[in-house]
Amino acid sequence: MVLNKRIFRMMRENFGRYTGIILLIFFASFTLVVMGGIGQNLGRLLTSFAENNRQEDISFTTDYPISDIGEIERELGLSMEDFISMDVELSQSQTLRLISPNQKINIPALNEGQDLSSSGQILLENLYAEANGYLPGSTIEINGKTFTVTGLISLPNYIYPLKNPFDILVSYSNFGVGIVGREDMEASGGYLRGYTVRFDDSNTSINQQAVILRERLENEGVNISDWIDNRNNKRMSVPWASVTGMQSMSIPIPIAMFLLCCIIVGIMNRRIIRAESVIIGTFYAQGYRRRELVRHYMVIPVLLPAIGGLSGVLLALPCLSPGVNAMLMYYNVPFTGIEWNVLHIALGVLLPIILMGVSSYFIIRRQLSQTPMELMKGDKHKTKVNALERVVNLEKFKFNTKYKLREQMRSISRLLFLLFGIMGASALMMLGFTIQNSLNHVFSSSTEGTYDFAYEYSFRQWHYGTAPEDAEVFSAEKFYPEGNEIMEFYVTGVQSDSEMIFLEDLNGNPLSVNQTIITRPLAERLKVGAGDTVSVIGKRDGKTYDFMIDAVSGTQAGQFIFMPIAELNIKLGLPKDAHIGYWSNIRLDIPGDQLSGMKSLEDVENAASEFMGPMLSAIIAMTASACIIGLIIIFLVTSLIIEESKKTISLFKIFGYKKKEVRSLVLGGTVYIVVVGFLLGIPLMALSMGGIYGYLGEQINMVLPVIVNPLYIIICFAAILLTYEVSKMMCARKVDRVAMSEALKSNAE
Amino acid sequence: MFISAESLCKSYGSGDGKNDVLKNVDISLEKGHIGVILGPSGSGKSTLMNMIGGVDRVDSGSIIVDNDNVAGFDDDALTEYRRKNVGFIFQFYNLVPNLTVSENIEVCANISDSPLRLNEILSIVGLEDKKNRFPRELSGGEQQRVAVARAIVKNPKLLLCDEPTGALDFETSRDVLSLLQKINREFGTTILMITHNIAIGDMAHVVYKLRSGEITEVIRNDEIIPAERIEW
Repeated sequence: MVLNKRIFRMMRENFGRYTGIILLIFFASFTLVVMGGIGQNLGRLLTSFAENNRQEDISFTTDYPISDIGEIERELGLSMEDFISMDVELSQSQTLRLISPNQKINIPALNEGQDLSSSGQILLENLYAEANGYLPGSTIEINGKTFTVTGLISLPNYIYPLKNPFDILVSYSNFGVGIVGREDMEASGGYLRGYTVRFDDSNTSINQQAVILRERLENEGVNISDWIDNRNNKRMSVPWASVTGMQSMSIPIPIAMFLLCCIIVGIMNRRIIRAESVIIGTFYAQGYRRRELVRHYMVIPVLLPAIGGLSGVLLALPCLSPGVNAMLMYYNVPFTGIEWNVLHIALGVLLPIILMGVSSYFIIRRQLSQTPMELMKGDKHKTKVNALERVVNLEKFKFNTKYKLREQMRSISRLLFLLFGIMGASALMMLGFTIQNSLNHVFSSSTEGTYDFAYEYSFRQWHYGTAPEDAEVFSAEKFYPEGNEIMEFYVTGVQSDSEMIFLEDLNGNPLSVNQTIITRPLAERLKVGAGDTVSVIGKRDGKTYDFMIDAVSGTQAGQFIFMPIAELNIKLGLPKDAHIGYWSNIRLDIPGDQLSGMKSLEDVENAASEFMGPMLSAIIAMTASACIIGLIIIFLVTSLIIEESKKTISLFKIFGYKKKEVRSLVLGGTVYIVVVGFLLGIPLMALSMGGIYGYLGEQINMVLPVIVNPLYIIICFAAILLTYEVSKMMCARKVDRVAMSEALKSNAE
Repeated sequence: MFISAESLCKSYGSGDGKNDVLKNVDISLEKGHIGVILGPSGSGKSTLMNMIGGVDRVDSGSIIVDNDNVAGFDDDALTEYRRKNVGFIFQFYNLVPNLTVSENIEVCANISDSPLRLNEILSIVGLEDKKNRFPRELSGGEQQRVAVARAIVKNPKLLLCDEPTGALDFETSRDVLSLLQKINREFGTTILMITHNIAIGDMAHVVYKLRSGEITEVIRNDEIIPAERIEW
């Protein structure tokens, strides 16, 4: 159709506006393909690694070897394999965990180099080796013996290589895992004996099968410790939280952006048709059919998403591999390549076309449904006043404020586009800061405030007696609410005169630890308060225990019930002086084979700062993206306002308004919506974060509080205002260019 | 003389496409008088008015308004001139559709150092009861009254009216013309009106007939007819 020749002319004339829309669609399609693709590929890599290399379902340690492994395997339908492990301190801050090679479960994947072939060789876990500069062929000194690194590996049970399963952050420079021959380890002594189990029946829950196994072992008199299933083992569960997070965000964010684009494209189409109504009426009068004109006006709503969607997908495809590899800087999974998800690619291209095409089709059809006479009259909509304009009383405001507000209310769809757009952009911007802030809070509250000790030593077996000098004893046992086995938490027995635990009530008043105190995150999850009784199941023995809560502590340092150690021991049927560990301010000399774990709070702090470095880059990227999106949105709205107000701007100039005054009237109004949008973005962000954190928290059994820091809110607000000012500067020339003849021309029409 | 324009020339385009819109036009108007420029479409009357109003620039010639040479003003000075001295009334009213009647009037009151009181203006134009209406809710005559109110609220020295009755029926046109005459009498505002309606010349002190960019005739009326008595 010859009419279509003008499409490109129109696009050239409004280059900035159409480019802005294409960029928004581009961002959305790019996000959909990249985030969805990373989530899907990471999930695939994790699943195939866990299946192919037979990831454990459960692991535990025992004091004596289990002699009838074959019989247990046949009887209970499982695979069981023993291993030995020992922690070697390579330096004051660096620990290497040595594990004997497995054949049946947690089979290492060799990423580089050669497998072990003789004594004196070691395979190192990839991320640790990279962080510390070990390559195949290099040597490492362990307990006075030199080992040659023959290869770099991934281990299914150390995908997120935490030193202790209850840690949160990995530190590749401080902790790593190596596989050495069993004979090398047995020769050096001081090792732990452990077992890994993988159930054959994948249809029955791991917990149900685990209870049977545990009963069987305890009946044999096996003394079990460090019992942990893979859902509660953060070394395996944390990567899945990332997959879930990516996948859950990969659809809503692009859809929200596509819908925003639908609104703006719809507004622009309606405006174009209204502006051209006289011409359209003339075409009708000359015999054009409605469908021919609909087809003509549909070119732009199809062309824009096609260009934006296609370019977003095309750029996303080469970014997928680096994106997955960036995730593999945290998770040690063999990289077997990228798989394109045809659905994501198709959605990235087709979804914007379908959404914008369908919404525009109905808008265009409606606009073109008028009679040629109505269209040729042309002024039906020009002077229409909407309900919002009618209802709002602005009498008490000064003229400038009145005008700015009225200009915003002029088009409800335009107002909603700006409001939702700024809400979304602000929420996205604050999301990055809040994630950082919340994680920071989680890390700091696990090391500061509540705890005043430097080291936590956990024994494999119960010990009895008193603590050494400068240390305190504690006991701890895992429990879970009935019917929710994944939600494990510790009840910790502390000395009633403890000076290493500080708890405060919800108002910040100190609490005596000589009572039963529940931490706020756990109280909220269990929905209990002071005076309530919590009835829970012991993880070790499956029995029901009741705990009467005396107080709730405001601490965010995880999910705990703290109570006097003697009372807990009595409940557990243990002697009063039984304890499972020490808290100490000095390093204690405890043989490694007695310990199931040692946590240094300094290491946790180091790991936190190591983790926060890359996190900062991610936040800057999120903030920059949010600013660009905000800029495009404000620019689109402002340029539309200028377009629609050309005659008024021209009149202002004729009446003697100065440049600065005209700019302020025309460009200044959006600030109200930007501010309101930003303010509404705060609860939107908190709600989305609450939802995401709640879900992820359940996945990894951790409390992730949404901590909104007023300082970050101010920073984000400043960034949004800066974005607004930039868009004003970009549009100021457009306002200046409106000629006085615009109003005079309309006189001659 | 309040307005004294001499040897005004204006052309658009260049080379073969050059169009001489005004050719050595001279006009003048006493302070407090009503002047009418009569002419068919394309005669250059709007161009002439735009130049006097400081909206357009002359190619050559001078325009003195209240002792200021408007033709020599730069952009900022022209803005200041329009802001302080000139009120505009257009054929199609040019009201801001999403502002109420009173807000439309405030558009000009807002940039005036000593605007007239809004209620007073509304009373003069007879729209006190419609101040919260939007333009769409008014008749053509009422909309033009709002435009008049907007133009006079800053109490300008010069009121420029471009075909003020061009879009109105006879009765309404007479009402609007009466209103303009009333403003001229009560405020002493100098009014320059362009029209192609020859009958309107009867209410003016001086009529300039313009054709193809040239003044063809100047008529000075000794007897001014009240607008209510004008017939066409």
